[in-house]
Amino acid sequence: MAQAAVHSFKTETLQREEAMPWLAPAAVLGGDNAPAWIAALRETGAASFAATGLPTPAWEGWQYTNLRPLTPDVFTFDAAGDVAAQDLPAPLLKDSHRIVLVNGRLRPDLGTPLPDGVKLTPLMEISEPEEELATVGSLAQSPLLALNCAYMRDGFVLDIAPHRDITRPIEILFMTAGNSPAVYPRVLYRFGENSGATLLERHAGAGAALTNLYAGLVLKAAARGRYYRFIDENGDAVHVSRTVVRSHKSSDFQGFSSVSGVAAGRQEFGLELLDSGISSSIGGVYMLKGRQSHDFTILADHFEKDGTSVQHFKGVIDDQARAVFQGKIHVRRPAQKTDGYQSHHALLLSDQAEASAKPELEIYADDVKCSHGATAGMLDTDGLFYLQSRGIPVAEAKALLVHSFLSETLEKITRDDVRALYAARIAAWLNAPVEEAAA
Amino acid sequence: MLKIENLHATVADREVLKGLTLDIKPGEVHAIMGPNGSGKSTLSYVLAGRDGYDITEGSINFMGQDIGEMEPEERAALGLFLAFQYPVEIPGVTTTTFLKTALNAVRKARGEKELDPASFLKLQKQKLTELGMDADMLKRGVNVGFSGGEKKRNEVLQLAMLQPKLAILDETDSGLDIDALKVVADGVNALRAPDRSFLIITHYQRLLDYIKPDVVHVLAKGKIQKTGGPELALELEQKGYADFYDEAA
Repeated sequence: MAQAAVHSFKTETLQREEAMPWLAPAAVLGGDNAPAWIAALRETGAASFAATGLPTPAWEGWQYTNLRPLTPDVFTFDAAGDVAAQDLPAPLLKDSHRIVLVNGRLRPDLGTPLPDGVKLTPLMEISEPEEELATVGSLAQSPLLALNCAYMRDGFVLDIAPHRDITRPIEILFMTAGNSPAVYPRVLYRFGENSGATLLERHAGAGAALTNLYAGLVLKAAARGRYYRFIDENGDAVHVSRTVVRSHKSSDFQGFSSVSGVAAGRQEFGLELLDSGISSSIGGVYMLKGRQSHDFTILADHFEKDGTSVQHFKGVIDDQARAVFQGKIHVRRPAQKTDGYQSHHALLLSDQAEASAKPELEIYADDVKCSHGATAGMLDTDGLFYLQSRGIPVAEAKALLVHSFLSETLEKITRDDVRALYAARIAAWLNAPVEEAAA
Repeated sequence: MLKIENLHATVADREVLKGLTLDIKPGEVHAIMGPNGSGKSTLSYVLAGRDGYDITEGSINFMGQDIGEMEPEERAALGLFLAFQYPVEIPGVTTTTFLKTALNAVRKARGEKELDPASFLKLQKQKLTELGMDADMLKRGVNVGFSGGEKKRNEVLQLAMLQPKLAILDETDSGLDIDALKVVADGVNALRAPDRSFLIITHYQRLLDYIKPDVVHVLAKGKIQKTGGPELALELEQKGYADFYDEAA
């Protein structure tokens, strides 16, 4: 595409005018007969980004993650690129359904039929958007979200019908291909009342790519949502995403994410426990080396009573890699009997590795139980010596200990097959054979 | 088998072993007894090659090789085994995985073929049965949630699987009741063989009622102070270590 906008992170100081290289000519953003709400949102997003530019370390929530080191990477909006059906990665799980997007565009030709009770609606076919799709947060406070709006091109709403239990998992595969594409997908997963489903959201691609995803999840009353994300991109990719989980009465959400391949990443999760009796948990593992950086920024927001939220993250950092964890539990005044739990543990494998953690509790109700714990440490020398004394070479012994450390986060994952997928990613990073984790 | 000559060793720049000499022949069971702080555990760590335990003088010869500079895993491959006083918990790694990784690493280092999964499981089951142990522990994380007795039995299981030439038992009796002690001792006794030696490090004589030593040494102030037969252990039980504090002071 001749008019393709070129994105560059090449910004020494982030002034207002430097927002402009990020923003494409209007002709790129429009010209596709998008519904009016999308056209309006693009304009709002572009205007907001033009006013703010990228966040700087002076911004609240951005003290530790700086987008500036990404200087040499250049990404192109709507870059050409395709993947042939035979080049798609094999499904994560057998007997799963699949939705495929290439460079942020839905590709029904590459997916599989969806089962009864599951409906996929392409973004461009939605004329009257739901709030969860169109109003997703403060653009002024989230320039990346503003960009996601400005470049809104494709995506979907996935509806799980009320009272349906979808037994086979649904894999949502986001592929990137071609010459350093920048993609801005927007998706909404909606679990109807008392429905249940397992979603496997996977991001993959062989080359450099920028993914800036907005994913919304809505769990209606008594719904059971399982949302497992796999960031399987390679070392030249940049992944930023914002995921907002809106939970309604007595629903149950479990989410997990693993990341190891990207050059830089930031995953924001907002758990909104909007009614009473909700359980909502999010966990993750990260494995970083070289000069990789990754940031998990989490907010669990309790609106009403009897809610339980869990944030459970662990990561391992080697070389000069950097990891950030920012986790907050917000308990509003009516949210009595809230149970909020948060933990983050980082294992540093080198003297130059860096972990920054910012746990926060903000509590306005008086009858709540909230806890948080954050540690950063080196490998346990007792364990290392124990393994070596049994004949296990030091490199292998270290790998076993790291595996031991990380796999603890997987214990809460209810599906064995999904747990195995994450264990395989840990093993692959450690370059070790896959072993079943101890119960 | 094991020949230690005039061994001096430091921990954090403090000299703990001050000229220790010891000679263990194939098939022999030696016991080293000594008061707290005499250097017993330091000796076991120095023999196994733990980081931070430095030899400053003297030598350790094991199976005809000077092992003083070897990594712990190299010593294990040569046939040295240390049963820990406090076995380490490793959550998230099953005992089976741990045993398989260790056994195959040692086999590989010795130039032997790695065991295929079926042969490994068969061997593991056989050893487990011989030791009267519960197969359930194999699926649990290494030593996680194990009682003191279970941890020590797990050490004996590893010993049985790895079939070392020399097994060092560091205070294996600590924290065990008499029944657990008997089980552990039975396991060790079953492994006695003409080409396998044992070095039993203990504070109390009690364990030696169940594992009969050929030679008993008294370690105090970083040196072997006295060597004798099994009767020396009984003598120590009655008289305590007071003599050796005085003698060494």
